[in-house]
Amino acid sequence: MHASTWAGVKLVFRKEAVSALRFRAAWAAMFMFALTTLACVSLALSGARLAAPLAAALLWVILFFASVAGADRVFAEEDTSGTLLALRVYGGAQAVLLGKMLYTFVLLLALGVFTVPLFLVFLDMTVASPLLLAMACVLGLAGVAAAGTLIAALTVGAAANSGLFAVLLLPVILPVFLPAISLTAAAFGAGEASLAYLGGLVLYDGILAVGASVLFDYLWYEE
Amino acid sequence: MLLRAAIVLLTIGVLFAVFCLVPPAEGLGYYVRLAFFHIPVAWVAVLAFLMSAYYGVRYLSKQELLLDRLSAASIRLGFIFVLLATLSGALFSKLTWGAYWNWDPRQTTIFVLLLIYGAYLTLRSALSGADRARRARVCAVYALFSFLTVPFLVFIVPRLYFSLHPQPVLNAAGHIDMEPVMLATLLAALLDATCIYLYFLYRGVKELPAGGKRHE
Repeated sequence: MHASTWAGVKLVFRKEAVSALRFRAAWAAMFMFALTTLACVSLALSGARLAAPLAAALLWVILFFASVAGADRVFAEEDTSGTLLALRVYGGAQAVLLGKMLYTFVLLLALGVFTVPLFLVFLDMTVASPLLLAMACVLGLAGVAAAGTLIAALTVGAAANSGLFAVLLLPVILPVFLPAISLTAAAFGAGEASLAYLGGLVLYDGILAVGASVLFDYLWYEE
Repeated sequence: MLLRAAIVLLTIGVLFAVFCLVPPAEGLGYYVRLAFFHIPVAWVAVLAFLMSAYYGVRYLSKQELLLDRLSAASIRLGFIFVLLATLSGALFSKLTWGAYWNWDPRQTTIFVLLLIYGAYLTLRSALSGADRARRARVCAVYALFSFLTVPFLVFIVPRLYFSLHPQPVLNAAGHIDMEPVMLATLLAALLDATCIYLYFLYRGVKELPAGGKRHE
């Protein structure tokens, strides 16, 4: 990566982190959404044990919708405050995209660190392979961050923004979602983990990140 | 006019062949008739997606609104065809497997395609207030970004999960497991569905108000 682009990525990442510390609403809503959903599921189950594949699917449904509650705000602050034009003038497309993608990834990792242990406690799940669970979560959330950043740029200025983000993200993220659920189920003790799923996750994360990078130029440099 | 007449004649010919010439298939009986509807509409559902991505690429390189309209028209038609493919597939599934839906890999693939079509159309309507150039650019980017799922849907999903779905006509072994009259009817039905799609695609765009000029 070019040195100036990397410097730009770091600047954009720092700007996002500072904004998030000043305006806590976006990430606070995301964490509270995850907590509320977890509590609802746990209460509804009343202590009943879930089979590993079902628990894995439930965990990823919670992670997906909680991610949506936070990741759709990636460009929204600049859009509502009117500073998107300034960012467009001073920031290169790749620096802005990668900086925001990196920030989203860190935010979603924090969400994972918050949600997964609570999920294990509330639903009384035992983890057969903690390393596999960690890898599935990191790779799955990386895919959501890669796709979510581009989708958030697409929905800037659109009507019905919040619902739209989930609608646009889900079909694109399914190739990440399905292997991540299978790997998580294996980590919970349901069968053997397939290396093909892990390789597929890494590959598709890469495809999403490269695809977003190539296409973002067309959105950023408007004529 | 001539083209429309040719398509109508071809459609009548296909219907005649399906109901009068095609023999009952082994294990399927006359349910096989549904396949001559299902396979062509599923093919066009995929073709429309490819065409939309193709016009999306061309729009991003040339910025001509006509290309955006072709891309959007292809998605609108594709949505109708993917709905027909999903419904006919579910019916075929009920008649042969005993259940309308069981997330067979092929059903998953067609359903994801349905979601993509729906998402594109929702995005387009949500951007109706934006200027046409931005809407065109955003929609083209989404069409291309969602196209990244195609290798996964076509090559990976059918290999990851067990499928009850019959093998494609041209299967991996390179054999065509079909009687000549069935194959000829199927090829005619595929041609017919493709012609119907192309006819409505270009007619729909021609009827819209002019706007194919490059943005200045």
